[in-house]
Amino acid sequence: MSAPAESRHQERLRSAAATARDVLARSGPCRWEVFTKASVTREVEVAPGSAPRELQVEEMGVAVRTARGGRAGFAAASGLEADAARRAIAGALAVEQELPFDPLPPPHLLAAADTGPIRGLPPRGWAHHVGEQLEKSVAAISGGRLHLRRCLFQEGTFSWLMQTGEGFVAAFDGAACSLLTEVQPAKGRGGVWREWHHVADPAGLDPAAAARRIADRALLVQGRLATGSGLVNLILAPEVAARLLTALSPLLVVCRDRRDPLPKLLDSTGRLASDELTLLDDRLDPEAPIAGPCDGEGLPAARTLLVERGIPRHRLASYRDALAFGEIPHGGALRLSYRDYPSTGIANLRVSTEHGSPPAELLRDAGAALYLLRPLAPVLADLAAGSYRIVASGVWLDNGRVRGWHPVVELRGSLTRLLGRIEAVGTDLAWFQADRGAVGAPSLLISSQPVMGQ
Amino acid sequence: MSNRGATRYHVPMTMPSAAEPPFDPGWLDTLAGACRGLTASTPRLQDVYLERRLELRMYALAGSSHAEESRSEGAAARWRYPSRTAFHARTGTSQPALEDLLSRHGRRTELPRVRPAAPGELEPPPGWHDWARQTLSRVRRGHCTVRFLARRAAVVGPDRWAAVSCPELVRVAADGESPSALLAVWQHPELESWLSELLAPPPARRWRPDPGLKVPVLLRSGTAGVLLHELIGHLAESDLVSSGDSPLAALSGAAVTAVALDIVDDPGRGDLPGAFSCDDEGVAASELPLVRAGRLVGWLCDCAGSRRLGAPDGRGRRASWARPPVPRLSNLIVAPGTTEADDIQRELREGLLVTRLGGAMVDPLSGRIVLRVERGWELRQGRRRRALEPFELTGGALDVLAHVEPAVGSDPRPDWRLGWCVKDGVPLPTGSEAPTLLVHHLEVL
Repeated sequence: MSAPAESRHQERLRSAAATARDVLARSGPCRWEVFTKASVTREVEVAPGSAPRELQVEEMGVAVRTARGGRAGFAAASGLEADAARRAIAGALAVEQELPFDPLPPPHLLAAADTGPIRGLPPRGWAHHVGEQLEKSVAAISGGRLHLRRCLFQEGTFSWLMQTGEGFVAAFDGAACSLLTEVQPAKGRGGVWREWHHVADPAGLDPAAAARRIADRALLVQGRLATGSGLVNLILAPEVAARLLTALSPLLVVCRDRRDPLPKLLDSTGRLASDELTLLDDRLDPEAPIAGPCDGEGLPAARTLLVERGIPRHRLASYRDALAFGEIPHGGALRLSYRDYPSTGIANLRVSTEHGSPPAELLRDAGAALYLLRPLAPVLADLAAGSYRIVASGVWLDNGRVRGWHPVVELRGSLTRLLGRIEAVGTDLAWFQADRGAVGAPSLLISSQPVMGQ
Repeated sequence: MSNRGATRYHVPMTMPSAAEPPFDPGWLDTLAGACRGLTASTPRLQDVYLERRLELRMYALAGSSHAEESRSEGAAARWRYPSRTAFHARTGTSQPALEDLLSRHGRRTELPRVRPAAPGELEPPPGWHDWARQTLSRVRRGHCTVRFLARRAAVVGPDRWAAVSCPELVRVAADGESPSALLAVWQHPELESWLSELLAPPPARRWRPDPGLKVPVLLRSGTAGVLLHELIGHLAESDLVSSGDSPLAALSGAAVTAVALDIVDDPGRGDLPGAFSCDDEGVAASELPLVRAGRLVGWLCDCAGSRRLGAPDGRGRRASWARPPVPRLSNLIVAPGTTEADDIQRELREGLLVTRLGGAMVDPLSGRIVLRVERGWELRQGRRRRALEPFELTGGALDVLAHVEPAVGSDPRPDWRLGWCVKDGVPLPTGSEAPTLLVHHLEVL
């Protein structure tokens, strides 16, 4: 296991930030923030029968935020040379617009939390080795009924440095690794099963276990068909649960609309969900995909309690959005790339599994239930109307035994009823990519939901 | 190294930014000469791609507007080894950056010590900031972001290079209770009317058809272009065809629509967002027939797909300098028929009228399409009755194609809503234009 090699970028990042500082010092009285970032991403695609495909991308750039005389600007330019810093500053000053408040956080809010040890990256050749192991394991576990379609390994190192005019400096070197696996039936045109897996520790990845996880789900739906409808107990597999949480995430961040949907979704005691559901944005979890000592604008990384035993506690907001929309800043800014303004967003939204049950126990306790295994469309949550829709593929269970496969099932109903009837959460938390940030979800057991069979 | 012998690819059309080369032509000639030496041994250099981008964003915040600017430039090189392919990309297009990029395959590469002339900065067009501010002031509810996107690129191969020109684009995305978006060529004559349509609130009372209902659907206002973008545009992409995943894979030359439709992919339509002067592999833009008189006659190929399928290339497109080219369509154009659209509507006893689609996807493996209806009406005896609330329609790809009504509208219209097309997480601007079409069977999801 090698340490991230790209920490060599820190010297160049410091140099770019120093150039920016010098230029900004000559531009008159101004509050400013400079963010410089360099990243190296490597992708290896292994598909049986095809030549492996490798992709390596090295990207770096400078972003500048300025605030002076009631005006604020932001611009980014690629590169770490002096010219990049100058272009970013010129751009920020050129696009400055009036703003009734200073969007840059005051110095006393800025700090860096301890990030723990730097993650390692796998050695070269790891992807090919794991790909071969996955191919063999999928075929062996399924008795030849499934085969590996492809796997895509993404690994990357990144370094960033943030500096403000008041002298705050934060820097970070990190690494990330993920694996996308696709399997499909060896015969016929059955669907492709896809599983994205955040690999927190490449040395600890067991290809056979990864193959079993995806093959088990794909094999469950190879049995006879079954349909059903009415009010039934549901088990959402982690992927389906993660899609549901993604759809709910607008409730967990600052509301920019004049009509906030959250109050209408609360019961008379202020409850959004059953007390089984506790949600956090956890920027301190060393196992979570997004890591760093501070949020996108320098507030210390934190574990923010968003929903505590069903009751909303905090909403995420960047400093600027917190000022604009009346929230308390808890370090809720996210910076996906140097090109993006640090805006409000979840980083690692996860369900607390502290009081969770093993998934086998959930399946057994569910009685006659529908186990939703694979989302077939984005989960839709109409927050204003308080309704949801899930389209998924699943299996019918009788006390933990599979009765049959339901290829397409649609669930539609009241969001408050869905969230209020979460009976238990599993311990099988897995991370998934959201539009922005990551979502960590376990299996969820939900009682008495309306199901329309198709 | 002499660069006198370098020749440019033929560029048959003029784009708004085609007059100005994206990089110093002399420097591109030099680079093309240097590439020659990297194609003779293993690994073999396929091409070098250089790109500059400008993105401007403006949105409302606390009663005023907030503007952001992002400038990016980078380069990519593709290499072929005996048993694998490799793609390397990095920020920067300077001589040291390119030397570093070309040395990634293992051999140190030195480029001639030529100082290229600095290319002109990509700048926002005059009036853009005012227009964006004015657009934001028209938004009554919710949050809206206005973007300006410009790109200039060059593809360099051994002894040749091509400039990639494409139109400057604007993208307006409104979220809130009725999220919607617009993608159009900057200063398109219809931009203002599309914007008014985008920002108009939906009808207050709306109706949703019952799930499972199978119903005739009349696609007007260019929405048929979105349907055929999915059914023909995506399913004719060479990667899906050569892997056998597309339901069209075995149907080359076969009749896929009951009606004698003509469908082409035309990157030369500079008024549509998917236009380019040459694709991102340096192949000059040309119109590509996909369906002629209802028969499938063409595939959308990048260079690799072209080799596999023996079909013309010219559709290798890159989402940015940091992504390799993939086979994608440009502007899907459906030839108009001769029937008045109102006459087709008048003949329809019962059905749904769709005037705006808010999303569309096709799953090649199941062969099913899903269309998200954003605006439309219930039709009875050809007349509009109740406005539709957003819902989805679905159908089997081949089945939908087989059930297109022979009477085709004489009213070709571009779609402004769904040009920002995402495949495997990679977004690209595309365009479409289509007349009114009636599909006899689509199922309400």
